[in-house]
Amino acid sequence: MRTSTRRGASRRVMAAAAVALAVVAGSVVTTATAIAQPDHSRAKNVIYLVGDGMGRTHVDAARQRYYGAAGKLVMETLPTVGQVTTYAVQKTSGQPGEADFVPEYVTDSASSATAWSSGVKTYNAALGVDAKGEVVPTLMELAKKAGYRTGNVSTAEITDATPAGQMSHALARGCQGPTYSAAACQDLAVTGEALPTDDVRVTPIADQIARNGTADVVLGGGLARFDAADEEALAAQGYEVLGSPADQAVATRDDLDDADGRKVFGLFNRGNLTIEKFKRENPNAVQAAEPSVAEMTSKAIDLLRNNKKGFYLQVEGALIDKRSHANDAAQTLEEMKAFDEAVRVALNFAKKDGNTTVIVTADHECAGFNIIGKGSYTNAEAVTPPGNVDAGNTANNSAPSRAASGALDGTRSTGPVNGSGSGNSGNFAPATFATPDDPEGVEDGSPEASLWLTYLSGNHTGAAVPVFAYGPGTRDLADTVDNTDLFDVVGHALRVVR
Amino acid sequence: MSVRAVVLSVAALLVAGAVGVGATLLVRGAGPGAEQVPDPASAARTAFPGLTAPTGDPELPGLATARPRPGTVAVVEGPFDDRLDLSGLRLAGNGVTGTVTVTSDVSELIELQVLAGFYDADGKLLGTGRFTHHAGEEDHGHTGPPSEEESFEVAVPDDLGGTVAAAAVGVPVLVNE
Ligand SMILES: [Zn+2]
Repeated sequence: MRTSTRRGASRRVMAAAAVALAVVAGSVVTTATAIAQPDHSRAKNVIYLVGDGMGRTHVDAARQRYYGAAGKLVMETLPTVGQVTTYAVQKTSGQPGEADFVPEYVTDSASSATAWSSGVKTYNAALGVDAKGEVVPTLMELAKKAGYRTGNVSTAEITDATPAGQMSHALARGCQGPTYSAAACQDLAVTGEALPTDDVRVTPIADQIARNGTADVVLGGGLARFDAADEEALAAQGYEVLGSPADQAVATRDDLDDADGRKVFGLFNRGNLTIEKFKRENPNAVQAAEPSVAEMTSKAIDLLRNNKKGFYLQVEGALIDKRSHANDAAQTLEEMKAFDEAVRVALNFAKKDGNTTVIVTADHECAGFNIIGKGSYTNAEAVTPPGNVDAGNTANNSAPSRAASGALDGTRSTGPVNGSGSGNSGNFAPATFATPDDPEGVEDGSPEASLWLTYLSGNHTGAAVPVFAYGPGTRDLADTVDNTDLFDVVGHALRVVR
Repeated sequence: MSVRAVVLSVAALLVAGAVGVGATLLVRGAGPGAEQVPDPASAARTAFPGLTAPTGDPELPGLATARPRPGTVAVVEGPFDDRLDLSGLRLAGNGVTGTVTVTSDVSELIELQVLAGFYDADGKLLGTGRFTHHAGEEDHGHTGPPSEEESFEVAVPDDLGGTVAAAAVGVPVLVNE
């Protein structure tokens, strides 16, 4: 892990040294040579897609579920493949290689988002600040400053860690708004004493997003974080605001279809967006008017593409993680598929455009999701399954919900387990799913289904995550890299970092 | 000094040392459409003119207008009421207790604040108190799977002892992972 970080750093130092030599030489001939050679490492546009909580086995399970063992997800067709280490550091830690470096093996989405957005290791919960609390600029801020158009799309609240990592600087990811609170926003373990409340690092993330103009296109959930003053601030910067934060009126797919502003702000749920499985099964429900992540990606590209300099777009499939926390395999798989469809949109655009880089990766694995052999299930934790009932937005409920478990299923298990498949409300794991490899008539939830899935926990794990890439500047990703190296790769592709 | 700081310093030296014409040509030659990279020191947006800095923890306007009957605990409106249920609300001798059940999202509860107002027998607001859940606090760790329920207790402020006859509660802060 540290090797790759050092390598990223040495790459930067070498590049700087090369520039220095050239400056010393001051030779016009050298310069002319450089002009004559096209630079294959640089992209006009970068689309960076994050499957939140998407580990290698999430990819494997989704492939088997939807395309069979010999098939491929769209993301798996990208030509460059590597893996990304994801560890965080503890509060006040130095960077890798420094004397005061103290790693934390399991990251959260905030630390990970800061790693690729700003190129530094930081503590869990930190956004756009290093582990000592210093503000570090983000790729989206650098891209904006360099003249790129910028977009940030998520199926979570847009103030949640992954999108916020590109467009806010906060000591604590919980400082989301609509209002400041000292407990949520301050962190004395990092800063020693409380920061003045006009310091950006304790300014609610929603207030920052509504005022910093970092993303030209903002699409996702989390309307409840924003208020009338935020709507005014957005309008004053020229944003076309879909729905209304002031009235807490959510935007809809139709609003998105009609949008044509240079800057567009649209939030489609007061909280996180609704899972695809519910929308598919309930096409007349109000939630079905929320756009999918693929639809938001497609529209964001349309809104951003007319720019000579290019654009930088981040897209998050957030509910992969949220439903993995709930150990809900059926919804996790469907969110994987929805995210992969967003990858399809990005890749199709990139192939047509010819100068667009697409990077698909994750921030961390969630829940130790895995594929097990039939009847090989042993999981001592199954007697206390994670809660997975969402009474407030029943659209997000597991079907069936699994409020309790603990029954032994002798036909499928070597240890204490639950019911008899994903259709049994006593079940926690294994969950079984039919795939295209199965004979016709095999049903989800039956012991005959070939895809057997289980979980290790209800939280993140420290596993490395996959990265898939296409386009200029991505060659270095065919390797084991660190999540901070992604900052360099994208930064160099967009030529916004040296 | 961090690696990044070293790199930035090298860059700064270069800018300082570069002959104007040479530097311009070089940058132009660096690739199609390449320009100077933006100055990282000024890229982050850290000031928001027009945004009033908060002076304290959040208030709920409903506390000023609630007039709970003696012996009762009223519920006032907050921004996240569609994500939670308040139950078991009870005004005991020294405070108000109850349970917040988070009904949306089941991953880790990161932030929760319950704001309580205390009233006299005429329904006049005497003072307020808060319960705060902050993930990662040593004395407040949950083990096991993510929890959807959080019990709270807000003590009557010392200087109001004996005069409190009713209470009202609301939730101004809620963040899940
Ligand atoms: Zn998570």
